[in-house]
Amino acid sequence: MSGERENVRGSRSRPSRDSSSGPRISSQSVILGRVQPQAPGNRTIYCNDRDANLPVRFKGNSISTTKYNFFTFFPKGMFEQFRRVANCYFLMISILSMTPISPVNPVTNVVPLTLVLLVSLIKEAFEDWKRFQNDMVVNNTLIDVLQDEKWVAVPWKKLQVGDIVRVKQDGFFPADLLFLASTNADGVCYIETANLDGETNLKIRKALERTWDYLTPEKAAEFKGEVQCEQPNNSLYTFTGNLIFQKQTLPLSPNQILLRGCSLRNTEYIVGAVVFTGHETKVMMNSMNVPSKRSTLERKLDKLILALFGTLFMMCLIGAIGSGIFINQKYYYLGLDKGVAAEFNPSNRFVVAALTFFTLITLYSTVIPISLYVSIEMIKFIQSTQFINKDLHMYHAETNTPALARTSNLNEELGQVEYIFSDKTGTLTRNLMEFFKCSIGGEVYGSGVTEIEKGAAQRNGIKIQELRKSATAIQEKGFNFDDHRLMRGAWRNEPNSDTCKEFFRCLAICHTVLPEGDESPEKITYQAASPDEAALVTAAKNFGFFFYRRTHTMIHVRESCVEKMGKIQDVAYEILNVLEFNSTRKRQSVVCRYPNGRLVLYCKGADTVIYERLASGNDDLKKVNRAHLEQFGSAGLRTLCLAYRELSPETYESWNEKFIQAKSSLRGRETKLDEVAELIEKDLILIGSTAIEDKLQEGVPACIETLSRAGIKVWVLTGDQMGTAINIAYACNLINNEMKQFIISSETDAIREVENRGDQVEIACFIKEEVKKQLKKCLEEAQHYLHSAPGPKLTLVIDGKCLMYALDPTLRVMLLNLSLNCTSVVCCRVSPLQKAQVTSMVKKGARKITLSIGDGANDVSMIQAAHIGIGISGLEGMQAVMASDFAIAQFRYLTDLLLVHGRWSYLRICKVIAYFFYKNLTFTLTQFWFTFQTGFSGQRFYDDWFQSLYNVIFTALPVIIVGLFDKDVSASLSKRYPELYKEGIRDAFFKWRVVVTWACFSVYQSLVFYHFAITSSASGKNSSGRMLGQWDISTMAFTCVVITVNLRLLMICNSITRWHYISVGGSILAWFMFIFVYSVLRENVFFVIYVLMSTFYFYLTVLLVPIVALFGDFIYLGIQRWFFPYDYQIVQEIHRHELDDNTSAGSLEVGRQRTAQEEGNPLPREISRHTGFAFDSPGFESFFAAQLGIYAPQKAWDVARRASMKSKPKMPQRN
Amino acid sequence: MSSHTASSSNGGNGSGDSGVPKRNSKRPKYSKFTQQELPACKPILTPRWVVSTFMLIAIVFIPIGIACLIGSRDVVEVVERYETECIPVLNRTNTVQFIQSDADKTCNISMTIPKRMKQPIYVYYQLDNFYQNHRRYVKSRSDEQLKSASKENDTSACKPEDIANGRGAIVPCGLIAWSLFNDTYSFSRQNQSLTVNKKGIAWKSDKQKRFGKNVFPKNFQGGGLVGGATLNESIPLNEQEDLMVWMRTAALPTFRKLYGKIEVDLEEKEVINVTLMNYYNTYSFNGKKKLVLSTTSWIGGRNDFLGIAYLTVGMISFALSMGFTIVYFVKPRRLGDPTFLSWNRGPGSH
Repeated sequence: MSGERENVRGSRSRPSRDSSSGPRISSQSVILGRVQPQAPGNRTIYCNDRDANLPVRFKGNSISTTKYNFFTFFPKGMFEQFRRVANCYFLMISILSMTPISPVNPVTNVVPLTLVLLVSLIKEAFEDWKRFQNDMVVNNTLIDVLQDEKWVAVPWKKLQVGDIVRVKQDGFFPADLLFLASTNADGVCYIETANLDGETNLKIRKALERTWDYLTPEKAAEFKGEVQCEQPNNSLYTFTGNLIFQKQTLPLSPNQILLRGCSLRNTEYIVGAVVFTGHETKVMMNSMNVPSKRSTLERKLDKLILALFGTLFMMCLIGAIGSGIFINQKYYYLGLDKGVAAEFNPSNRFVVAALTFFTLITLYSTVIPISLYVSIEMIKFIQSTQFINKDLHMYHAETNTPALARTSNLNEELGQVEYIFSDKTGTLTRNLMEFFKCSIGGEVYGSGVTEIEKGAAQRNGIKIQELRKSATAIQEKGFNFDDHRLMRGAWRNEPNSDTCKEFFRCLAICHTVLPEGDESPEKITYQAASPDEAALVTAAKNFGFFFYRRTHTMIHVRESCVEKMGKIQDVAYEILNVLEFNSTRKRQSVVCRYPNGRLVLYCKGADTVIYERLASGNDDLKKVNRAHLEQFGSAGLRTLCLAYRELSPETYESWNEKFIQAKSSLRGRETKLDEVAELIEKDLILIGSTAIEDKLQEGVPACIETLSRAGIKVWVLTGDQMGTAINIAYACNLINNEMKQFIISSETDAIREVENRGDQVEIACFIKEEVKKQLKKCLEEAQHYLHSAPGPKLTLVIDGKCLMYALDPTLRVMLLNLSLNCTSVVCCRVSPLQKAQVTSMVKKGARKITLSIGDGANDVSMIQAAHIGIGISGLEGMQAVMASDFAIAQFRYLTDLLLVHGRWSYLRICKVIAYFFYKNLTFTLTQFWFTFQTGFSGQRFYDDWFQSLYNVIFTALPVIIVGLFDKDVSASLSKRYPELYKEGIRDAFFKWRVVVTWACFSVYQSLVFYHFAITSSASGKNSSGRMLGQWDISTMAFTCVVITVNLRLLMICNSITRWHYISVGGSILAWFMFIFVYSVLRENVFFVIYVLMSTFYFYLTVLLVPIVALFGDFIYLGIQRWFFPYDYQIVQEIHRHELDDNTSAGSLEVGRQRTAQEEGNPLPREISRHTGFAFDSPGFESFFAAQLGIYAPQKAWDVARRASMKSKPKMPQRN
Repeated sequence: MSSHTASSSNGGNGSGDSGVPKRNSKRPKYSKFTQQELPACKPILTPRWVVSTFMLIAIVFIPIGIACLIGSRDVVEVVERYETECIPVLNRTNTVQFIQSDADKTCNISMTIPKRMKQPIYVYYQLDNFYQNHRRYVKSRSDEQLKSASKENDTSACKPEDIANGRGAIVPCGLIAWSLFNDTYSFSRQNQSLTVNKKGIAWKSDKQKRFGKNVFPKNFQGGGLVGGATLNESIPLNEQEDLMVWMRTAALPTFRKLYGKIEVDLEEKEVINVTLMNYYNTYSFNGKKKLVLSTTSWIGGRNDFLGIAYLTVGMISFALSMGFTIVYFVKPRRLGDPTFLSWNRGPGSH
């Protein structure tokens, strides 16, 4: 029997076990006996014997997650930098510019490149330094190691394979340990694996019986064992090895292994031997390098750069051809006759053209904005570290968790998300069940208002008044109920007080919960497989039916106020039979005998199954109760129906015989038990129903509603059952009764029938056909609805098994088509792999930008598959966070992250890119026009330093300021008008059309600069009649360019802070300062600025040219805003008189405006056919299965303790 | 928990404020920067702004344009093209040969003054198709050498005119100096010669800083082929103003350079006789030569461009401001009209 329990427990472990079983070395491969050489598949460890382990040179326990060390930093960092095409390109240009064919001084290209590299390297160094410090903290954590029969605290990094260590309660395991002894009896210890897989339920590890004694240092020092085990690998759930100890070979299993990253719970301390250390521990081998993701925008930027390369090539080609044609000996003053270099030799025009081509590449190299990448990187870095990480709106005070951007690559991607894939448990919900309402004998009790009701009310513009909590309201874990009619025995005065009594007894008796701790109502804790159960028992406790003890056959309940007000009595009910819950039965029954001999069967279960089994009559109650169920369901509550049946001793005895028979049968026991249960679970009398709130995270429905208005589609991918998933989808507002639901489920009779036959091939074929049929039908229907305007919104619910077939390449297109037409999709019972598959189906198939959000290890694959992965931090394990790109504490912070940060970031980066593109193209084109008038010789128009500093000084800072500070509308408006987000989804600001517009203005402006400047060479420019030379004119042109380009920047700003003024003014000023000094020092531009400034002409030009240049842009902007306004521009106008961020006054008015059209058809929320069914949490079945046949011992080993927000002490997160 | 209202936006903020920040709180500190609440002005390009901006431009630009045009119209400019005229008719089929021969290249032309010219009258020569901005040409000079005598041998950039055969470095070296313009002009009216002042035609900065006062020409034009003018080896470079003017290379292949100043007034209808020595070879590359007499005003020489540009921009601005005003009345759009929001425009028309 206990072996069976083992199996059941095993099957509950993570699905990835199956996937890892492929490469796993089968346990048979471990050769028994002494294995001398370190065979590739084995490692031999001598415990407690450092000398013996020495020859093998195991790795130390210090870890390093840094990318570089002191020596590799420079070469490796440089290598990383030159993996960027742009940097390589500039290196090439720099080398080219050292050759004589270059028209420019090498500084032109070397200076910007060096600056860019320098900034990048400093950033790398800074990030690596932080990682290094982190590692240092971890490596220097102290741990007790056995040395000379004493525990000595040494840092983790000093730990070696074979050492004996002691880990105290709540401490983290410093390495993968072989569990030897524990202070608990039976050599067990409890560990929490949250860091590994996100599960917070405690797991049990059990040491080999032979090693239990080695607990004290004196004793442990005597331990001399030899461990032979597999080589380090990354499979978390397997371990094969033997302990050779006292000349015996003892097989080891994962049960004796304590993994690094887990922590010890409920155990004073344990003693273990180090097996794997440092980077060889399973958790480190598992810490995949998060694949570095690049944002879609950046990939599009690559295309733009490519287009610029094309432009560059064309420009150079034109110049090269021109030079080949131009070069001629007739220009004798060019000295082309005697021994002229090949690049000017008229006798070989082809060579001239070819060499000029390279000359021009160096000359026009500025068309590729070298500082673009580094600027964007800096902007994003500040955006993520200063704005996202420090946003107070995304700081969760309860868990003390701010948001965390783990990568700065994806900020702008956040502004373009179209699909969100969300996990359920822990992400949408808190995984906290609370008894919220109930209906007893046709009367509803409980006055709370659920989140979803609030949301619905808000949508309808009704202001919900928060009810004052009455004095009797009790709020504790699992119980959030407020109704004075039931509390403190007041139910006795209710008309249906007998029903109430039955109701409470049913709650107190019909369950499989284990009480733990002190037998007082305040201190007791209930261990239950499902939080629902615990909530129900807690409810009973609060109603005065305190279940405090459970023995093999008895349930002890302390009942108050039953016989008369204020009287407390302990009653022991004999539990005769427990009829288990499973997913087909969807109910659970208990047969109990009262102390007075009364035999009652209490049953609770899903409304459908209970109603089928009710005794006839009393239709009124049934009808009323059904209405209540629907009411609860539409409020997003999980419901259960309670019923009972009085049994006569004869009926019971005859039935019990059959039951015992079924229970002891060896084949098909479960089916038989089910059949027997059917015999007695009939003619039930309805008591009422409970409503449990699967506590959503705060603000989830509102957040989802906001996101959907923003054009984002939310899909829920969950491992839960379909019922639960649908329930939550209702609660989150993803589904409502106005929507057309498509349900593709494998739980149909036809499929079940085929499955019962057991032929795998047939099952596969049949399900596939079935799924195909379903998909086709749904798709046709969906198309029909789409064409019929205003059709209902569509939702798709599909379960994992069907999904497996639907994801088949042949059906995938159909699935994609269908699901893209749906506003929301719920996938239930999906494996982590399927989560990833669904994500990448949308990502690759539909080419939409996807975001995955989850909290547990089972979400990791999905998080990594999506464009953006978001981990929920602060509560559960770190695995999801470690794999994610952003970590937030609450689901609702997605609103801020996407609608505010993402949108702004997208807007800003788009502006930055477009502006960079524009300013470099403009600048380079002036050079290009000049080329035509220099005989295509590639003479530079500007001085070298002008050209090199143009990108890095004169135009660098303002654009960064825009990248940091520009905001079209304030954060609160961004959230109030979620629709603004659609501009990002449509990619409205970085379309080719936008780029082409910029390019057109670029060409126009460059022509203006060039021609306006160049005409000044035609005559004397002041009254002294002297003429300007080339450098005078180019300096004048450059001045105009710098001024114009900086002013143009101001024109793209939506908000202008004083930093804008400072940077723009500073840049222009910097140019003048520079030229004032520089023209004194350099020969070819000697004194030009002073010469220029002595002429009126200069001032007239500097006034005229920027205005002429910006004329086109200004008209464009005016017309665009006037006739084709972007949404954000309208919103700006609506709120033009408001100061930033104090918009609470205006919000009401706008709220009205928005919902005006909705008010036409108020949502008929009250009539909902959906009733939630509470009883299908994961792990529930196994819990009962574990109890099957044998009564659970006092120690609740199998009991899964679910996450609770309060009970878990906050530990510093390591690893 | 459920007692909280569903205020998603301020939840974090509010609950954080209520509690006294604990010592190890990770609550980010408030700053206007990190919360992105820096005070900013938010310009909205409303039609009123557009119209008034254009109006402003018009108001500022039109007067400036008129002033520029007047300034430019004040200037009297006489241009005489002479490269063909100054070749004897017989030689016009083979101009290059003529210009390279030792034949007498004196040439007389006359110019009629259309309008009274006030002194100083600037004499320019204008060349055409002459690529002073060619890459090979531009860099063929040594600024070091021009500045100081000690850097005489700094001629690496000057090839092929860097070193005279066996006689050391050429000063000034390089193609630019080598191709120094060497046509000369002497003016007379009614057989009374007009002096041309050749001082003060170069920029002061060139004279004082760029060209050394103890650098003397050396080995100049000593090579096999003479490119242009020769220089008096006894005059230091900083007084060779022709050279300085020439070496401030022009930006365009058509350029004008100052030759000298005539410091007497010329009357209307007066005929000026110019005796010019047509030495310079522009015939190889079909370059035009022009002689220009011009006065200046505050804006410099004759230059309508600036004035026209200002006027045009001013007029267009005015027209646009009118246009926008009309549109404003014909097709008004209420500021911040929510019906313009894309999600309000109805599903059919997006």
